[in-house]
Formats: sequence, C-alpha cells, structure tokens
Amino acid sequence: MTDTQFDGYFPTWCPGCGNFGIWAALKTAFTNVGFTPDNFAVVFGIGCSGNMNDFLWVNSFHALHGRAIPTAIGIKIANHKMPVVVIAGDGDCYGEGGNHLMAAARGNHDITVIVHDNRVYGLTTGQVAPTAIQGFKAKSTPSGVIEMPINPIALAITSAATFVASGFSGDIPHLTSVIEEGVKHKGFSLINIFQPCVTFNQLTTYNWYRERIYKLDKNNHDPEDLKKALEKSFELEERIPIGIIYKTIRPTYTDCLPQLSKEILVESKLNTDLDKFIDEFI
Amino acid sequence: MLDLTVKIGGKAGFGIMTTGLTLGKIATRSGYHAFEYAEYPSLIRGGHNVVEVRISEDKVYSQEKKTDILVCLDAETFNLHKNEMKDGGIVLLEKDKIDLSKQKSTIKNVSYLDIPFSKMLKEASLSSVMINNIAVGVLMHFFGADFEILKTLIFENFSKKGQEVIEKNIQAAKLGLNFAQKYYPEGYKIKIPKLTKIIPKMYITGNEMIGLGAIAAGCKFYAAYPMTPTSTLLHYLAAHAEAAGMVVKHAEDEISVINMAIGSSWAGIRSMVGTSGGGFALMVEAISLSGITETPVVIMMGQRPGPATGMPTWTEQGDLLFILHAGHGEFLKILLSPGDVEEAYKLTIDAFNLADKYQTPVFIIGDKYLQEGHQSVEKFQISNFKFQIDRGKLLTKEKLEEITDYRRYQITDDGISPRAIPGYKNSLHQANSYEHLEDGHTTEEAKERMRQVDKRNRKYATFLGKDARMPVLYGEKNTPLTVVSWGSMKGPILQAMKGSEDKFNYLHFSYLWPLPKDELTKLLTSFKKLLLVENNSTAQFGQLLRMVTGIEITDKLLKYSGRPIYPGEVVEKVGELI
Repeated sequence: MTDTQFDGYFPTWCPGCGNFGIWAALKTAFTNVGFTPDNFAVVFGIGCSGNMNDFLWVNSFHALHGRAIPTAIGIKIANHKMPVVVIAGDGDCYGEGGNHLMAAARGNHDITVIVHDNRVYGLTTGQVAPTAIQGFKAKSTPSGVIEMPINPIALAITSAATFVASGFSGDIPHLTSVIEEGVKHKGFSLINIFQPCVTFNQLTTYNWYRERIYKLDKNNHDPEDLKKALEKSFELEERIPIGIIYKTIRPTYTDCLPQLSKEILVESKLNTDLDKFIDEFI
Repeated sequence: MLDLTVKIGGKAGFGIMTTGLTLGKIATRSGYHAFEYAEYPSLIRGGHNVVEVRISEDKVYSQEKKTDILVCLDAETFNLHKNEMKDGGIVLLEKDKIDLSKQKSTIKNVSYLDIPFSKMLKEASLSSVMINNIAVGVLMHFFGADFEILKTLIFENFSKKGQEVIEKNIQAAKLGLNFAQKYYPEGYKIKIPKLTKIIPKMYITGNEMIGLGAIAAGCKFYAAYPMTPTSTLLHYLAAHAEAAGMVVKHAEDEISVINMAIGSSWAGIRSMVGTSGGGFALMVEAISLSGITETPVVIMMGQRPGPATGMPTWTEQGDLLFILHAGHGEFLKILLSPGDVEEAYKLTIDAFNLADKYQTPVFIIGDKYLQEGHQSVEKFQISNFKFQIDRGKLLTKEKLEEITDYRRYQITDDGISPRAIPGYKNSLHQANSYEHLEDGHTTEEAKERMRQVDKRNRKYATFLGKDARMPVLYGEKNTPLTVVSWGSMKGPILQAMKGSEDKFNYLHFSYLWPLPKDELTKLLTSFKKLLLVENNSTAQFGQLLRMVTGIEITDKLLKYSGRPIYPGEVVEKVGELI
C-alpha cells in the first residue's frame, strides 16, 4: 500500500501552508504503521487543520470546534480495538477545548492527538491563538497580545499524558517518524506540530523555526526522565526541541474497565436477563 | 380503604431519606402501594429534611397536603409542619424538646405522643444517627406490621457496613417497638390491616427506572456530569455498569459528556447522557451536531427551577421550550416526558429506538418530582413488558458486505439514510458537522445544501406518519371539563380525579414533539372545556399546543414555587370552573 490510499480532495490550503507537510507526514506514517482508510478513525476539529477532513480519505468524524477529543474518547470506548487519531488546531485544542486535553491526558485514553500549532487563527482570518508569542499583533489584538502563550508540552506532561512530542511541518521525514511513534504508543499521546502560517503569521516563519529547532535523540535526551522532559518543555524560544519529549507506560482508560476485558462494546450482546436488575427494587 | 400519609422530618444527616425508603418498602412488602415525596435544601449537613410517604391499598399517584402521622426528630420539624395535620392526626415528638404549652397545631383533635428519643439513645449508648430507627420501630407497632420485614430491610441496607452496624440499627428499632408495645399495647388510632394477597411491587425512583430502561434497551455508554435532579441516575448506572456490560463516564464537563456520547454512538453503540438545565445549556451546540451528523443520542433532561442555579433541589417543568428550541439550525428533535415510573421505563426504551430510527437527538424530559421520588409499581408491569430493539437503518456487517459506493447521507424518501459503523468493510465514510454531500464531503453548493435540508426535514413527516403518539385520555368520556397536562403532573391530576370522576377527565401527553396538527386540533375541539395544568409560570406546553393547533387554552393552573402541584389544588381549580 502507498500513502495515496489516503488521498481525498486536493487541499484548499494557501500555497506554502505548513499543513501540506503535516498532511504528507500523516499519510506516510499511517501507511507505515499498517493503517488503511477503513481500519481506524480520525476525528477532526474545526479550523484550517480540520479542513483536512476532505483531503484525507479515512473513516472520519468532523466534530465541533474544541470538541474533537471527547468525540474521539467516545469512539474509543465504543470500539477500543480501533485506533483513533485526533487532528486539531491550537485554538481548537488549547483554547476552546483546553479542559478536554487535560482530562484526556489524566485518563490516559488511548488516542493520538495531532495539534497544528501555527500560533494564529487562520480560518477566521488572523486572530491570536493561545500559543501566540506575547506581544504578537493580530486582528483581535492590534496592540499586541497581553497573555503569555500556553505551553502545550509542559501542560500535557503535568496533566499525566504518557506520550508527549513535538514536530516541525518543515521536516517531513522526522515528523513522519514522530507520528508513527505517537500512534503506536498505547495511551494518550500529544504531538504538537510547529507549523508556519504563511498568510497571517509573519513572525514564526519557516526560517524562524529553522534557526531554532534541534532534534532530540538518545545522545541528548532521555524521554523517560520526567524532570528532564519538563526541563525540555521550557525551551520555548531561543532553542526549540523536536522529537519525543516524554514517554511512559501506564494502563489506558479502557484497560481499567473489566467490562471491556473480553469484548468490544460495539459487538457486545444485549442484556436479556433483566430480572436480576428488577428484583433489587422489590 | 386505607390512605395514610406519614411525614418524617429532621436535620440533614439523620437518615431522613433512608427512613422514607424504609417506610415505603415496609408498605409495598406488606402488599400496599406507596408514593414518596421529599423536600430538602441544597446542603449536605444542616438544614431541614422532610420526607412523606403515602400508603394505600389502591394505586397511589401523588403526595397529599395533609398528614396522618408527623414524626418530629427535631423541634424544627414540629414548627414547620404542625399545621399540615389531618383532623385527628398523630404527632410523635419528644416533649422535653418541644414546649406544647406554647405551641400547638391549629388543627383539631391532634394527639401528641411523647417518644423520649434522646433518653432511649442515651440509655442504650447508641449514636444519635440511630434516632430514625427508634421512630420506625414505634410505627411498626402502630401499623401492626411484621417486624421481620423491617429487620430484613435493615440487613439489606447495611449489609456492606458489617454486622455491628446492622445489629445497632435493629437494636434501635426494637427500642422503639418495645416502647410503643409497653405504653400503647393496643396500638394507637392507626392500623394497617394485613393483606392476604400480596402482589410483588417495585418501589423505585424515576431515575432508577430510567436507568433500568436504558439497561433493557441495550444502552452501552452513559456519560454525565453530576447535577440534581439527574445525579442519582448516574449513581445507579455507575453501580450497575459492570453487571450491565455498560461503560459509565463521569466526564470533566457537560460539553465533553455529550460529545463523548455522540462519538460512541457514531462508533455504533447506544449512548445516553443525563443532566439538568444548566448542564444542558452547555450541551446545546452538540445537540445541533447530533442533528447534522445524524448521530443518535438520548438525552435525559431533568428539570429543576431556574434561571441559572435557581433552586437546585426543587421541582419545575420550566425547560420545555428551551429543550424544544435547543440547538442552532433546523433539524428534528423528539421530545418525550414520562408521567410516572412505569412510563419512565417504557419511554426510555422508546427513546433509544426512536434515536436509532431517526438518527437524531431524543429527549426524555423529567423533573425532580418524578426523578427523585419513589413510587410503587407492580413488578409484572415491568418484567412482563414486551418490546423490540429497533436499530432502524443501521447496517449490519452482513449487509455492508453487499454494499458498494456507500453514501452516509444518501437522499431517501423518508429522510433517513442507511447508517454504517466505522471500522468495518465497506463502511468507509465521513460524518460531517459541516453541510455535506451524500458521501459526507463538505459542500456549500446551493442545490446540495437544499437537498440535505429537505432530506433531514422529511424525518418530521416520517415520524408523524409512523411513530407519533396521541395523548391518552384518562377518566370518563363526557365530563364538563378536561384537564390537559404533560409529564410528571399526571400523578397529582389522577389522584385529584379520585372522587371527582364526574367532574373532569385528563388528557395526558407523554409524546411532546413533534405533534400531529390535524388529529390534535380535532381532539382538543371535541371537549367541552379545557383546563391547562403545568408546573411552570408561562404555560409552556400551552404555548406549544397553540403553536401547533392555534388553540389557546385560557383556563390555567400554573405553579412555580418549586413545589409540585397538589391534588387538592386541581380539585379546587376544577371546582371554580364548573
């Protein structure tokens, strides 16, 4: 199988958009791990990232803005043998739906959350995102954003996520391998992908990232060391690490449900012995 | 015919609610019907709790205003409820704590029996939380009920807490029993005759019955965020999840709750959420998501008085029009509202079938009054109820094998498209919150938009043709007046009808939306005079009936104090009108 199996409509993103790199990496990673369009599910948020719904031919649910994570958790509970991936944006996942990110990490729900982090709102034509660098001027903050940016990596680690990584849309082979590791990981994984918005963000451009990013590997980082991972998560502007920042093993949410130990809910039988439930009230 | 109301009040933490349940079960296990109504503030400790249990040989549909026996576990209970006695009623109280020379009931012929609760507890070195058992022990003697029933109930209630707790509870109950036997050897005024024929009865709350209905209907996922009056549905299902092969999730907020349920439903399992007005407000965007993605979901919406936090532990039917209009955009919603625990079971099963058939949100609308109070129902009404599981146009694995070119939003005459579960052969599709083409891809093209809107709207006609239910008429045919109401007000109205059968009949709505216009107009115009009864201030169901039929019911009995309507209030209003 080749990654063309996942081709949908040709994307409508702006020429040069970082989404193209993510799209390419996703298709290759999905093919490399053995996914086919019908054997797993993708939940999309709303935004330029979510528009990939039409460009990626897979079983998918194009959810509400901010709510892709709970939708994905519901799918996973119904069919915990089916891999579930979330594709969302920074506003989606860290702004509108921030609460869900923390809850999903705490629960170690076995889903992979891919966040397109371009530090700006593209689809709504250029307002600040929760990851915008302080002082960034955009349509909703013409004098510069007052708030400090969200630190998604530190937030995920401290929320007890079991796989936390960063990638860069300008380095497709590296991003592909990070995504593969993320979807193979059993438990909650967050992959934050740095992605330039060529139309609305002239600050964090391809060159801005290329001057700052460096790859994590065995020689410079141990992802199983929580404290080191947290240290790395605070390298935010001068040097920016990409790769697997934190990784640990913990039973997933559905692992902890005895009613799912033998069967998946979607194939489970109906309860026909109702008397045992009725008699309790006599 | 026995018709007895017992009211017990005390501080929160005295086990008032457990006492109510115990008394109700003593009645049902002795062959009687029972109905419970409780009032309590939104507090855990402190505050005044009161529960009343009405016991009758006949089916009992509601609470009543006046009580036969008032048990005061503290002085406040006496102060608050002393004038709610029936002529000749009995008050059990501790005379050391209440100065009867200064304050007595304004009701005639009330007897005051001194039960020295504190002294008895002290002498037996029992904790003050055992006070309720002493009271139940006294009542067991007065009723002439079998003490073994009480012992069994105590054993069932405390089996998880160990032998010592069980023994102390029984000891306290025996203190009450022995005291009453010693000082009132012949009993006192009230007896519950022994019945020879005992039909097994369930004594169950609306929430528990809805939970049971969900289990029966094959619900596999229930998500909720705690909120009165629907929290005890979460508790019931969470406690039974493993046995029922269901997953129950207390999620981080109501937004997550409903999006999880929509996700799990899309993946193929029957899913339900439960909440109250404030939590439902957070779910509203996702109601619309269920509408456009055509993903079934059942929403248990327990009403309580609003706006905002309102009066959390009280009752109202104030959210009907909010629910009707919830969710931006135009799509079919189906609204059901059970009138009693039996209907709660049957309508819950209906709700799951309708959600699957119409691939849209279906609401079960309840309120604190129905959801939290216990009612008796003959076991056979539930265990002998036959029903089908109808999953509508859900494609089985076998059917999918034969399909090529599957289109999730295929244009059909009845407005309902074949539904596939993701992850199976040939099921590949996109569910889309954007307007979409038949295959699920996004579109903004005018013609395709209108085709999908028309398709979804055709579900109204399909529902009205196949599944709409007309209201049920209770009582005699040609009465001078017809009472019109919905949901939980069925109880007080049917109770009010006892002895007034020649004055009014009752048109009960449990299928609230969509409503069949022509049949309903014909029906409503066939009655002599109409009285609308609702537990809200703006006659919301009346507004809905007018919207559909153009008929405005001008005579209304509306109550919005947070308390349910009492049968006496219905009788009084009927009396004014005929």
